[in-house]
Amino acid sequence: MAFVEQHIHDAPTSFWSKYVVSYDHKVIAKQFLWYALFWGLVGGLMSILIRWTLAYPGVPVPLIGNMLFPASGGVVPPDTYAMLFTLHGTIMIFFFITPLLIGCFGNYCIPLMIGARDMIFPTLNMLSFWFAMASGLVLFASLCIPLGGAAGGWTSYPTLSTNIGQPGAGQTMWLISLFLFGISSTMGAVNYITTVITLRAPGMGYFKMPLTIWGLWLTAILNAIFVPVLGAGLLLLTFDRVFGTTFFLAGAAATSGRGDPILFQHVFWIFGHPEVYILILPAWGIVSDLLSFFARKPAFGYKMTALSLSAITVLSTVVYGHHMYTTQMSPLLTQSFMTLTMLISIPSAIFFANWLGTIWKGSIQFHSPMLFSLGVVFVFGLGGLTGLYLASTSIDLYLHDTYFVVGHFHYTMAASVLLGGFAGVYFWMPKMFGRMMNETLAKWHFWLTMIGINGIFMGMMIVGYGGMHRRLYNPFIYEFLHKLIPINNFISYSAFFAAAAQILFIYNLFKTVFAKNYPAAGKNPWGVGTLEWEIDSPAPHYNFKDIPVVKCGPHEFGNPNLTTGRDYQYQTEELVKV
Amino acid sequence: MITKGPADELNHFKNSVAMTVTLISFGMMFSSLFLGYFLVRFNAPAWPPVEIENLPKLLPFLSTVVMGLSSWTFVLLERRTEKKALWSATFGLGVLFLVLQFLLWNSLAASGILASNGNVPSMVYAFTWLHAGHIVLALALVLWLGYLIFFRPTGLTDVKLINVGKFWHFLGVIWFLMYLMLFVL
Repeated sequence: MAFVEQHIHDAPTSFWSKYVVSYDHKVIAKQFLWYALFWGLVGGLMSILIRWTLAYPGVPVPLIGNMLFPASGGVVPPDTYAMLFTLHGTIMIFFFITPLLIGCFGNYCIPLMIGARDMIFPTLNMLSFWFAMASGLVLFASLCIPLGGAAGGWTSYPTLSTNIGQPGAGQTMWLISLFLFGISSTMGAVNYITTVITLRAPGMGYFKMPLTIWGLWLTAILNAIFVPVLGAGLLLLTFDRVFGTTFFLAGAAATSGRGDPILFQHVFWIFGHPEVYILILPAWGIVSDLLSFFARKPAFGYKMTALSLSAITVLSTVVYGHHMYTTQMSPLLTQSFMTLTMLISIPSAIFFANWLGTIWKGSIQFHSPMLFSLGVVFVFGLGGLTGLYLASTSIDLYLHDTYFVVGHFHYTMAASVLLGGFAGVYFWMPKMFGRMMNETLAKWHFWLTMIGINGIFMGMMIVGYGGMHRRLYNPFIYEFLHKLIPINNFISYSAFFAAAAQILFIYNLFKTVFAKNYPAAGKNPWGVGTLEWEIDSPAPHYNFKDIPVVKCGPHEFGNPNLTTGRDYQYQTEELVKV
Repeated sequence: MITKGPADELNHFKNSVAMTVTLISFGMMFSSLFLGYFLVRFNAPAWPPVEIENLPKLLPFLSTVVMGLSSWTFVLLERRTEKKALWSATFGLGVLFLVLQFLLWNSLAASGILASNGNVPSMVYAFTWLHAGHIVLALALVLWLGYLIFFRPTGLTDVKLINVGKFWHFLGVIWFLMYLMLFVL
């Protein structure tokens, strides 16, 4: 068996090479972390403005209202409301979750957990971050131009997103921004896929990889295949807006010829449904590992979990039509998409059962990463189950575009991924920065966040089931929705509560990273056997002085025959027979 | 037994994997365009629509010939030791292909076919623009190979030639499909 190893680079010395144009995957991971947190704050603030408007229609936003919306006396105007929900979705998906889960953890974990010294293409890695940065700048700039940013929804369906639905440069800048982000994601995907295939340490077979790596690797595969599909759609829509082509224009919107607005929906959702899994697979992988680490038990059904994640990856590519049941799709097609969508519940149920099997009778340590992982199990359970309702054509026709859908996808894409992201931050913080975050604050953060987000998303599903449509500026002009005002207020209070809980996280994070004389974390504070915990904290710039040789899996816990005084084995140790 | 392999082996393997993934990504982008084409075509009441009758035939045909020739010269470039003339031919044909594309767009505009004239002109312009954009990128890579061939021959490796070649041939195949769909069938 032969392996190849990267040579050790000299450590960067200048500020510029160390922190700005760094080739080091760990620094790039931290760049993505700060980038994601910045955008998370922006997107989060937008959601607060949205919820304020729904709780108190026509009432000025306190404190910042007059500064942000002076022309309307501090009240969020209707066109700005459309911009807010559009950019909230865009930012949270592309500029917060993606950089956090894939950019940060992908960069940080892949080389360290597979025993490599860096990504296989460090320059491409650096470029990937700077393309993401350029993308963010373009999006941010779109907020500052006449007529403001994009306001056609995060899906940007034509004709809402054509020049007729959305005059001004904001929508075009949104398209360019996402195209740049797509280039960044594709560069990252090429790097991740190639790194996992070529740089695994000797002995690290695919079924000895941590499930975090499985999740990130499968995500990269989906990214490489489906982000370019979105890219094509974005370019064609840009051409429609800028050069007058008519791909997505029909009826009076098209001055000549006839395009098809539904065509964009096809292209968008061919990408968009895998995108759901692009976001959630890394979180599933992280949680699959953390449940085992903190239950002090081997991951139950490790291979089946890895294969289930792979099966979901494959199935996610053929179910996109369930987003388009209301587009007069042929019944034969709707039934096919419904069946395929329902099929996804089989591998999902397998790995979900494996999660429960992993913690069953475990010696559970309720550290903050474990709490957040258990939170993922809970919210993903709810999000996944409600997905079955929406997969069913007959139910979806009633619930389509209601807040039930919003609640469902926030449970799966937002709550699960957010909690998984927090679990990752708390877990790898000692390795990233050499310091442990305050556990008491972290646990408060968990419980307050859990209460807040469940209040929001459970409430959304209730009002959605009651018939409240999404994206309405003031739904309460409709008499039949009056009865839903109190629960809308409750959702908004929950949102304010959840937002306030994030102050604990921000304080904890900044204090941990920047406080002077903060105690150093040890090499392996959680007692885990994966490769990154065998090296110093924070990890040195070359990661491994000698490339490790892997001899066992990542979840070797609780073996009664261990004589090392530990309840776990490092992956570089010979497996002790049970 | 675990042994350490040569650095060249890693270099060749990683570039091969990465280029394959990259071409799959590019392929998906062009496939999405083709999906749009087929949806439009199969939903059209009549094909070809009125506006397609005036599409030029000669320039796209010449472009196809030039693209095919450039792929052939690239194959020879990969195989033969005398590289300077073959590189010059490949690069020259690539530039000629771009010139033909400009002439095609001019000729379309001169005959009153603009991007805003409907589905088919929209597709002709958009597809050829995107393809030409990729050709520019590929020519930049060929130019880099030229720098290595003429000024730093020791830096020229088979891996670099093969991978740029894969991208070049890929764009040739994409052009051929576009030619068939837009100008022949």
